[in-house]
Amino acid sequence: MDVSLLPTLLGVAVLLPLASFFVILTTGRRLEPAWGGYLATGAIVSAGVLALGSLGIWLTHHPVIDTGHHASEHAATSLPENPSVADDFRWRNADSETTRATTRLASFAADEEAEHPATEKAADGAPHGVDEHVSAAPVTGDYYLLGQFGQLRITIGYYIDALTVVMFCMVCLIASCIHFYAMGYMHDEEHEVTDHEVTLQNGSQLKRRGRYAQFFQYMSLFCFSMLGLVLAGNVAMVFVFWELVGICSYFLIGFYIERKSASNAANKAFIVNRIGDFGMLIGMMAIWTGLGTFSFGDIDNNDNGTIERGERGIFAQVRPPEQHHQLITPAGMALAASQDTVAHWMRQHPQATEEQRAAFLEEEATRLQLSDEADSTTGPGYWLLIVAGVGIFCGCVGKSAQFPLHVWLPDAMEGPTPVSALVHSATMVAAGVYLVGRFYPVFAPEVLLVIAVIGVITLFMAATIAITATDIKRVLAYSTVSQLGYMMLALGVGGWLAGMMHLVTHAFFKSLLFLCSGSVIHAVHTNEMTQMGGLRRKMPVTAVTMLIGCLAIAGLAIPFVVGLSGYYSKDMILEQAFSFWRSNETFWGGFFFVAAAGGAAITAFYMFRLWFMTFAGQPRDSHRYQHAHESPRVMFIPLIVLSVFAIGVAWPLPFSSLSLQGLLEQARPVGTAATVQSSLVELTWPNEHIAHLPENYDVIVKPVTLLAFCTAVGGLSLAMAMYVFGVLKPSEVRDQFSSIYRFLRNKWWFDELYQVLFVRPVHFLAGLIALFDRRWIDWLLDTLATLVTRFARLWEWLLDKRTIDALGDSLADRTYRLGLSLRGLQTGSLRQYVLFLAVGLIAVFLIISFFWSPTWAR
Amino acid sequence: MNTHVFWLSLLVFLPSLGAIVIAFVPKDRVELLRGISLVATALTFVLSVGAFLLPSSAMHFDTSAATMQHSFVLSWIPSFDISYSMGIDGISLPLVLLTTLVSLLAMGASWSVTKYVKAYCILFLILETAMLGVFVTLDFFLFFVFWEVMLLPMYFLIGVWGGPRREYAAIKFFLYTLVGGVFMLIAILMLYFKSDLVALAKVSDLNPNNPTPSVVWADLHLSDATTQALRDDPTNGGHPRHTFNLLALAAMGQHTDAFSPRWQYWAFLLLFVGFIIKVPSVPLHTWLPDAHVEAPTPISMILAGVLLKMGGYGIIRICYPICPHGGFDLAYVVCAVGVISMVYGAFAALAQTDFKRMVAYSSVSHMGYVVLGLGVWSATAGTAYNPDYWNMGVKGAMFQMIAHGISSAGMFFLVGVVYDRVHHRNLNEFGGLFGRMPVYTALSIGIFFAALGLPGLCGFIGEAFVVLSVWNFDYILAIIAASVVILTAGYILWAIQRVYLGPEYHGPHGEALTPSNLRENSIAGVLFVLAILLGVFPQTFVLRYMDSTIDRQVENLAQWTKTVKEPQLATPQAEPVDATADRHRGDEPRWFVAAEHPPNESWHDESWQADAPGQPSGSSRN
Repeated sequence: MDVSLLPTLLGVAVLLPLASFFVILTTGRRLEPAWGGYLATGAIVSAGVLALGSLGIWLTHHPVIDTGHHASEHAATSLPENPSVADDFRWRNADSETTRATTRLASFAADEEAEHPATEKAADGAPHGVDEHVSAAPVTGDYYLLGQFGQLRITIGYYIDALTVVMFCMVCLIASCIHFYAMGYMHDEEHEVTDHEVTLQNGSQLKRRGRYAQFFQYMSLFCFSMLGLVLAGNVAMVFVFWELVGICSYFLIGFYIERKSASNAANKAFIVNRIGDFGMLIGMMAIWTGLGTFSFGDIDNNDNGTIERGERGIFAQVRPPEQHHQLITPAGMALAASQDTVAHWMRQHPQATEEQRAAFLEEEATRLQLSDEADSTTGPGYWLLIVAGVGIFCGCVGKSAQFPLHVWLPDAMEGPTPVSALVHSATMVAAGVYLVGRFYPVFAPEVLLVIAVIGVITLFMAATIAITATDIKRVLAYSTVSQLGYMMLALGVGGWLAGMMHLVTHAFFKSLLFLCSGSVIHAVHTNEMTQMGGLRRKMPVTAVTMLIGCLAIAGLAIPFVVGLSGYYSKDMILEQAFSFWRSNETFWGGFFFVAAAGGAAITAFYMFRLWFMTFAGQPRDSHRYQHAHESPRVMFIPLIVLSVFAIGVAWPLPFSSLSLQGLLEQARPVGTAATVQSSLVELTWPNEHIAHLPENYDVIVKPVTLLAFCTAVGGLSLAMAMYVFGVLKPSEVRDQFSSIYRFLRNKWWFDELYQVLFVRPVHFLAGLIALFDRRWIDWLLDTLATLVTRFARLWEWLLDKRTIDALGDSLADRTYRLGLSLRGLQTGSLRQYVLFLAVGLIAVFLIISFFWSPTWAR
Repeated sequence: MNTHVFWLSLLVFLPSLGAIVIAFVPKDRVELLRGISLVATALTFVLSVGAFLLPSSAMHFDTSAATMQHSFVLSWIPSFDISYSMGIDGISLPLVLLTTLVSLLAMGASWSVTKYVKAYCILFLILETAMLGVFVTLDFFLFFVFWEVMLLPMYFLIGVWGGPRREYAAIKFFLYTLVGGVFMLIAILMLYFKSDLVALAKVSDLNPNNPTPSVVWADLHLSDATTQALRDDPTNGGHPRHTFNLLALAAMGQHTDAFSPRWQYWAFLLLFVGFIIKVPSVPLHTWLPDAHVEAPTPISMILAGVLLKMGGYGIIRICYPICPHGGFDLAYVVCAVGVISMVYGAFAALAQTDFKRMVAYSSVSHMGYVVLGLGVWSATAGTAYNPDYWNMGVKGAMFQMIAHGISSAGMFFLVGVVYDRVHHRNLNEFGGLFGRMPVYTALSIGIFFAALGLPGLCGFIGEAFVVLSVWNFDYILAIIAASVVILTAGYILWAIQRVYLGPEYHGPHGEALTPSNLRENSIAGVLFVLAILLGVFPQTFVLRYMDSTIDRQVENLAQWTKTVKEPQLATPQAEPVDATADRHRGDEPRWFVAAEHPPNESWHDESWQADAPGQPSGSSRN
């Protein structure tokens, strides 16, 4: 089994759900509804089998090397075995620094001479003895061409590395569980449904035919899009599937299309996401123009077995191998920016002499050459790199519901619960984080700072809102937003592995939590926790699995010994944030860590608040309690499966070196393990492994682990105090801090703010423009037309009637009068006639004799 | 030669033959009249597909050839060198196929027309002939004739079969287009009387003394008589020899001094205004909403699906190749017009309450992409004359024309379907169609999403290609253009919500909302399937056919920029000196030599692979 089989295997895995979608779409109404469920489930399970097979193939070719730091022991490896540290070492190595600069200059000079590159000159002497990484080479290539423009190609391709394979398995696994679960949960839709939330004009409740098959049809389309997104080999393809998952999300949020709230939420989700995509488009434009490719990896376009110029992917251009995968301003971007500078200068100095121009160009050329010096932030084109990074991140902000575009996700809970579990917690919203992880090599340090800031704001804000929410799904929605903020923070402070780990662990425990909440809603037919309570007696499986989910998300564990999956990933994030603080003893440095730790406490509090309000204590609504029941087997078995993963997905596989962490470490983008500095913002991003060095165990790992444990326990205890023991009455607390409560209860007034700031102005402007069309442009035209007709009439009157006609008329008139007056000559007297004849004859002779000219005769 | 004359003429005039047949059918045989018209349009469609796409056909279109194919020239009015000449290349072929397809579907949608069916069918078929003629003719005069011929049937089709304000709309349409036609006529005469085949022959390979001919004479498809005359007397007795041949005019614009830069500038401007009235672009667009709202459904389909494309076709076929000076100097204006139309149309669409008016404004917005894509002249000294992004813009614009032809024709059709049932179009008085007409709703949502630019459907490809190509031309325009995706999503989703979603229909005539019938489903279905195919396989279904032609045209113009335009700009006596050109004055700074490489080429030498054994691409070659 060769790795070259992977594109086919995974490609088929992507297409299977699409096939299911089309089959249900075309035959859906003639089919027994249940078959829709079987088809979709069959498709995603088969895709899962293929994904697992791919994982197997991958592992046989790239066995996970035991890097030493197991999830359970936060010890790090010794220096030589850890190539990332070597990376870091190389970075600081003065020798290589010099070599790099020389290399760049040399190659620059080589290019300068002529078209043909000087092959021998450059890059020799570079210390390429130390190899890059444990990271395994990705499998890259194209499936087919979307369009070709000279050298530029836009394709549908693939980029397969350990991250792709892990994401594939995760998505398929969770999606399979949720499909099974949904067969139970959506059971009602197999028959005619009465929607109690929709009242018709005549006062009756809406009755409609069930949409069971349709639900699975959308789910299949979603699975196709999500898997395609994971497989995507270039940014254009990412964007394609990015929008496709968005549209599936639109369909699924708006599944109950008769409800106004659902269609509003669906619209909101799509449009808010498009705002993010607008930013992403800008980033894509910067990349496309600067680099001339969208492909992540190198693509051998001409199939000659080697990668030439122009075949390099984004990663290799931004972190060229001959620069030791250090981030540089790519040549294309530097040139583009330089050209802009020159054009601008020329416009500013039209009077400049030849010498001045030459001097300026010389200066610019020097700046260009130095653009990959250590202080590359001053070089031309660096800002384009930042635009590219921030732009792509904008897309992620939309999709992963980060501040300020987080407003759509809580509303998205209008969709059925399995949708919330799959689309709006585990997979699609995590796609933003996934893309940040995938795009990590391209992010300049300043962009990382933006990511970290957005992440920390999001995690804190969403956590605070979750405290006061009483809708069980909205608590989970805000929790999702908050956890995604954690991942962004992790990535932003340099913790690639931490972010990716949390992405995977979170997907399992959050989908578990959502499915549990769905199970509860299924039983009591309400989302309001204020009407629940004591349900653990009625639905023990749900209660236990949900407790596992809560423990996992809160990161509870026996410190240093063993914990649930969330413990490992969350601790990694906190450790990295702490390590960041140690490297930057400034406000920002501390802010990230403190907010993250505080957020952890709040997380524990609201999660257990949720659990206690739902399952503990006495029933608040006895009627609902009476009718509550444990869910059918098809629903609770997925809960058990998912809770197994929520517990142990971060543990190493027994009797092997295989662990999630090790597997993900393989996918770490080459060159990103190094410590980086930014001179623009004066911060240092510490190498992720620094936190795990043996010498740092006591200063980073130990205190952070303990602190994390304390915050989690603190949150848990507060929740217990308020909702179990009643030491603190929630209502009293509410009254005590009523203004804060109102602020949080109204979700920081984001919706209202956006309504005033954006929605209304846009509608106003639209109205204005429509008015402009009618009142101005059309008015102008109509007036013009009227004027022309008036003018024509005037013209007719003035010229035709008054002038030409008048002339003709008067001529006729005069002729007539002349005739009348000449009538008097007709006397009938012969003598008079003879006299006239004689006078006329004399006159003719006189005229001829006076005026005759011989030339007339010719 | 004769086969070409026969088949191309047949393609263009087959609908008119149908019209002649109809003229002899009694006017009360309504079904027969429609049947004959449908057969005529169907035959035209089959002919266009069969002739150009079947490999065994004598007229098979060769995708690798960049020049005109299957062309012919017959003398028509020899004293002015006006000829009856036609041909097909990568730019016209997709539009011809679009025309025949949309005409067929629109004829299928014409069953809803019940008034004066005979006259309707005759005018409809004449209209199709005129549209096809515009796309295949190679003679500027003939082009103008077809252009104007198309106007009259359209005027009557709107003015007689339209809605309540049909006369206003028809006159508005007529006058607008006529004004455009007048501008075009002025430009045609300007170009004709300055044209000179003698000068062109001098720089071409017709001149045996020219060691470096820049024009291949055979590619111009001039009549044999003209060629022979110039061969016999290369100076034409010292007089210029005028021509209406579009290809020859283009070659003159690029390779001779026949048209001075100022002359080209004005000709470009006149032609451009004439064409953007048709596109239509803001602020010359207000005929479109009225015409659409009043026109019967099939005519709206034709109008949006084909007629608007003539403007784009004119710009790419006539404005740029013939007047490159104007194109270069006015590039920013062209792009700005495109961007303004995109934004303006989207905002205006957001504010409409009339369903059809909203779709009409969406057309203004979407056709803005076409103008923008055609305008991105990004092959300058600053980009080392790399025309790749420009190429992308032009292909994106061409694709957008085809995609819009499918999605907008579909949208107008769908609006018509529901209008036929409930006789109103007020967006606020719909709702709940999903429950009443499920298949129709599914198709509608699909086609509306194609217009929204959803990936996987045809609208996305054109929009994405155009928008991505603009950054290299201008950041600001690119960012504004990209922002339109938000507005588009806004108005389309809002319309879908108001019309299709919701619990129940709350407008008049609710009882008439019956599920769509087979005829309606198949028309919308064809368009929807095409929207998917074009969206998923753009290269296979569309771009493949236009690649060579557009590559060549853009390459030629880029070459022209480098060899003709920029040196002129750099000389002090030239007109407004552009900063980009200034850079090339004096000694070339060595800095620019580096710029000669396309941006994705790295500066580093090629030996880097040897230094990077762990290069990520390694395993992809296994």
